[in-house]
This record gives sequence, structure tokens and C-alpha cells, in this order.
Amino acid sequence: MSDILAAILIALADDELIIGHRHSEWTGFAPHMEEDVAFSSIAQDEIGHASAYYSLASTMVGQTPDQLAFGREPGEYHNAVLCERPNGDWAYTLARHWLYDNADALRLEALERSSRPELALLAAKIRREERWHSLHAELWVKRVAEGSVEGRGKLLHALAEAFAEVRGLFEPFDNEERAIAQGWLTVPSPVLGARFVETTTAALDDLGLPVEIEPGAITTELIASSSGDLIATDEDSASITPAGGGLGGRYGRHSDDFKALWAAMTATYKIEPEATW
Amino acid sequence: MTYEERWTGFEAHIDGGGMVEAGDWMPDEYRAGVLKFIEMHANSEIMGAIPEREQIPGAPSLKRKMSLTAKVQDEVGHAQLLYRVAEDLGKSRDAMYWDLVSGKSKFHNVFHYPTFHWGDAAVIGWLIDGAALVTQASLLESSYAPYTRVLKRICAEEQLHLRHGEDITLELASGTDRQRAMLQDALNRWWLPIIHFFGPKSNVDKDLLLRWRVKTRTNEDLRAEFLDRYVPKVLELAFELPTPVPFKDAASERWVVNDEDIDWAPLDAIKKNQGPETERRLGLRRRSYEDHRWVREALDDQTSQAA
Amino acid sequence: MRRSTIRPRRRPESLVEIYEVFRRSGHKQPFEHCGSVTAPDVGMATVMAKECFTRRGEGRHLWVIRRADIHTWSDDSLPDPAADKSYRFAHAYRDVVKKRALARSRAQADAR
Repeated sequence: MSDILAAILIALADDELIIGHRHSEWTGFAPHMEEDVAFSSIAQDEIGHASAYYSLASTMVGQTPDQLAFGREPGEYHNAVLCERPNGDWAYTLARHWLYDNADALRLEALERSSRPELALLAAKIRREERWHSLHAELWVKRVAEGSVEGRGKLLHALAEAFAEVRGLFEPFDNEERAIAQGWLTVPSPVLGARFVETTTAALDDLGLPVEIEPGAITTELIASSSGDLIATDEDSASITPAGGGLGGRYGRHSDDFKALWAAMTATYKIEPEATW
Repeated sequence: MTYEERWTGFEAHIDGGGMVEAGDWMPDEYRAGVLKFIEMHANSEIMGAIPEREQIPGAPSLKRKMSLTAKVQDEVGHAQLLYRVAEDLGKSRDAMYWDLVSGKSKFHNVFHYPTFHWGDAAVIGWLIDGAALVTQASLLESSYAPYTRVLKRICAEEQLHLRHGEDITLELASGTDRQRAMLQDALNRWWLPIIHFFGPKSNVDKDLLLRWRVKTRTNEDLRAEFLDRYVPKVLELAFELPTPVPFKDAASERWVVNDEDIDWAPLDAIKKNQGPETERRLGLRRRSYEDHRWVREALDDQTSQAA
Repeated sequence: MRRSTIRPRRRPESLVEIYEVFRRSGHKQPFEHCGSVTAPDVGMATVMAKECFTRRGEGRHLWVIRRADIHTWSDDSLPDPAADKSYRFAHAYRDVVKKRALARSRAQADAR
């Protein structure tokens, strides 16, 4: 049973590690110097959250957090595809940051009520930092949305692009029903997805951002995907690709972007996996 | 008061150990000299972020991934502090940034070189930060007060970086043969640039920045201090240092290198912004600067008022 | 489906401003100047200042103020008052100890 919980913790950690990795690629290169410093803190926070989730899973699976973070094959990472996409420009980064942190806020709110006290406690801790991430994302999105035509156009485009894959964050975990039955998870992923669509749509509306969302569409498709219909099943296929719409990540099906990220992220570790660094 | 009288008064003030604030009267040559000096320091911090950030994606543990990110973040923070100080001398940050990315202004030689692996993270973090700290600590006594105030914080953070770099180094040094080989490879490539880092011998009679105590010590003096402090630390870990090979001077009992062993040609090329990585790195920054014009416009927009 | 129109915006002069940042490390300390940031408005200036100046827990309280709103005064010349102003300092009352002894002996004499 603890395998089921460990797998979920690792998937949560993978989301945080991979988006943290992408965010950290801006450090030293953000388009505004003070913002460079601010966004780097967010990157460090996300990697720190990953580390904390891995630590919880660590004792259950008998591997160190670093072994979990760097020692697995690409198909064994269960992060959402959205997290692995390259940063693109600042507009895409902002759009994803805003969507991800809004989604994460809902997820953490649910995790805070987990029947596993160590998970509930960790979620509460993470949520304190995530509040600041959300505030940061909101200030930026608001400023760009209300700013010049060019920036607004870029943000719209980026939001549409990121939104098309956001459902991957609400793709159910392996054995999610059993985790729910145990009270480890308190809200099914598709329900969180539906809440997300509701709040995000309202927020976009407030900002006057005409991103096309069919309310309910994301929920319907998520339920369909949880039945396995939308997930390709050839597990042994050499070419692992996401199932479209940003789905598949929770089952280890990633884009080529992930393979490149994974190769870079594990390069040093793999020189001497047994060594300390 | 004539300009000459003011100049004389200013020199007397400096000679008497006086400090200068941004709003004080200062000779144009002092203002221009301090501005150029701090601008180059700021440029070096922001360009110095690049070689190190190249190693962030491949950092080999969760702890290292976070701490190297934090370290580069600090360097950007230093650039931010320094550009603010330079800006108050009369040149906007945007103008300084544009001069940097278009190759008009300069940055420190060590940041013109490529990185290849984690051994580079070790040597940059330990020896290059060590060299920078020797220089920056000497500037704490500078006559330009706003500079000394930010340097206080910068030096405190550099002390931490030094520990961080030494920690990475020691882990490699006490690791496997392959880990040690990575460190040796990086030392082979970085040694000469580190020697160059302090610059050629100072011209004490002509250097106005020395005369006005903007800088307080000569290049050769700083290099000598660095060698004496760091060479024994490298050798005790049983690594080799390439040409110019340091040796212990019998008379002074200090670690030194022979001046004639230093090949200055690579530094001369870098002074013309023709280092191995100069164009690529400046190009990256230039493209990013141009691609993100809209971000600066969004930040400039007064019609948007975030709560 | 929700849609709204893009509203064209007026392009103003550059208004990125300098904000001075003051930090207090604890409730018993005063706010002290710790640096400045360049930001488009006070909201973003505050968010940026938080990371630039408190990321190592140096403080949890900030004041973020537009530089243009700060009035300054300074005078580095040696104080050379027209009259003796030593009464403003404790050292002017150093002979209090002596006076205390005198007063005490006087009081004792009266009591006798």
C-alpha cells in the first residue's frame, strides 16, 4: 500500500522538480534584474518542495531523494508535460508560472487535509511559500495584461499555449481511487481540475483576457482520460510521446523536450552515481 | 571658487581620508573614473552569472541544484546593487546594459571562457571567487562611499560563496579518480585566466583611481596576496598547477610566479572583447534584450497600476 | 466561451522609478536603509525588494518608498555653534557625582 502513496509523492515531487528546473534556467538571464533575483527564489522554492516530497517517499521506497531525482529513466518520471516544456520567452514562462501556481494552490489546499499527517504538514508548509508565488505571478500577469498591445498579445498567445496542456496537471495519479479511499488524497484530480477551470476562467475574465476556454471541456476530457481512453497503451514503445492535450505525463509519457531536459539534468550525476558530489 | 580651487580642495579631502557621496562635488575625472570602474564591476557580476548558470541544469544533487542557483542569484543581486550605485553617478542602467551587450564596455577576463563540466563549477566557485574576494575586500577602503556600502554586503556574500566553492572542490578532491580528473582539467584551463584576473602591473604614477583611493592596492600586490593564500591550498590537495607554475620564493617565503612566465596574449585579446566566449555570450544577452523589449515596455506603462 | 476585446493603451514616457528600501530585522530594531530597486510601481517594487533584501531572513519588515518622495538634508562641516551647547550632552554633567557628595555632607551637617 505504501507503494501507492510513494508513487503519488514522487509524481508530486516530479512536477516541482521539473518546473523548478525550468524556472532555474532563467537565473542570470531574466529580462529585468530585480525580477531575476525574485524569480530565482521561486525556482529554488520549487526544487526545495520537490526535495521535501522525495524525502517523504524516500523511506517508503528505500532510495535517497537524490537517487529519486536523478537516478531514474525518463519513463519513470511522472510530472505533467506542461512542466517540462522549454521556457520559451518571458510570456510563456509567466503564463505557465501563473497557471501552475494556481493549480498547485488548489492541490495543496486538498493535501492539507490528507489523512497522512506528515503529508498534511508538508502541504501546509509549502502552501505558505506558494501564496507568495501566486502573488508574484498575479502582479506580473496583471501588469502585462493591462499594458501595451504587444505584451498583451504575447501573453494571450502564451496563455492559450500553456492552457492547452494544463489538464496534464489534473491527470489522475496511479491508483488514485485507492489513495482517495484511504484519505491520503482528499479530492479527486478531475474535481480539482474542474475547480481550476472555474477559478482561472473567472480570473482571466477579470483581467479581460480573451483566452478561449469551454467551461466543462477540461473536466469531461479528464474523466475520459482517467478511464484510459485517451492514453495510448503501447508501454514498450521506444518513442514515448505525450497523449496530446498535455496528458500522459502521470504515466511516464513525455515529450522530446523532457528527454533533452533529463539528459542535461542527470549528466553529472550519471558520471558517478555512487559518488557524493 | 574656481574649478582649480575646488579640485585642490577635493584632493586635500581625499588625502585626509575623506569619503565622497553621490551628491558631493567631485572632479569630472573622478566621476567618470568611478563610474567606469563600478560599471565594469557590475558588468562582470552579470556576465559572471553566465558561466556558472551553465552548470545549474547539470548540478548533481538537489542540494547543489538549489545552492548553485542561489549563488548565481547572489551574483545577479550584486549586479543589481552595483548598477544602482553606478546609475546615481549619471548613467542609466539601460544605457550601461546596452553598452555591455553591444560590446562597447568591458567585463572581467575570466567570464570570457567556456565551461565544460562540474569541475568548472568547483574552480569558479572557489578560486575565481577567492580572487574576486581579495580584490573586493581591498575596495572596502575605497573613497567612494556608496560603493563601500554595497561592497560590505557583497563581500559578506562572497565569503559564503567561497565556502560553497570550496565545499564543491573538496567533494571532488576526496572523490573518485574521475571526479579528481574533472577538477584537474578545470584547474589546467583556469589557472592562467586567474593570474590575468588581477591585471598587468599597475602604473602607480599615472593611475588616477589609485591616487584618489578609488582603488587602494596595486594589481601585483593583490595577485601576490592571492597566490600566497591559495597556492598552498591547491597543492595540499595534490593537484598540479600549469604555467605559470608557482613556487615558494626562498627570500620572502611567499608563493609567487615568475612574471616572465605569464603569457599576456590571451588577456590582450579579451581586452578587445575577443575572448573565446565573448561574442556568443554577449549575443545571447543581446538577443534576449531585444526579444524582451515588450517586457520593459510593460514595466514602463503608467496606465497599469498594480495594487 | 469568454471573450473580451483588447483595449489599445496610450504609450507614456518611461516611468520606471527608483524605490528606496528600508528594512527592520526585528521589532526592537529601527528601520534602516538597505538599498534600492528599479520598478514600475510600488507593488512590484515591494515584491522585488522582498527577494533582493530579505532572502536570507535579514528582516521581515520593509518600507518601500519612492526616492522622489524622500527629502534629504546633510552637512558634513564641523559643528561650530555660536554659543556653548555642551548642555545637550551627558559629559556636561560629569561633576554631578561631586555635587552629590557635597549635598550629602551638607544634609548630614544640617541633621546634626
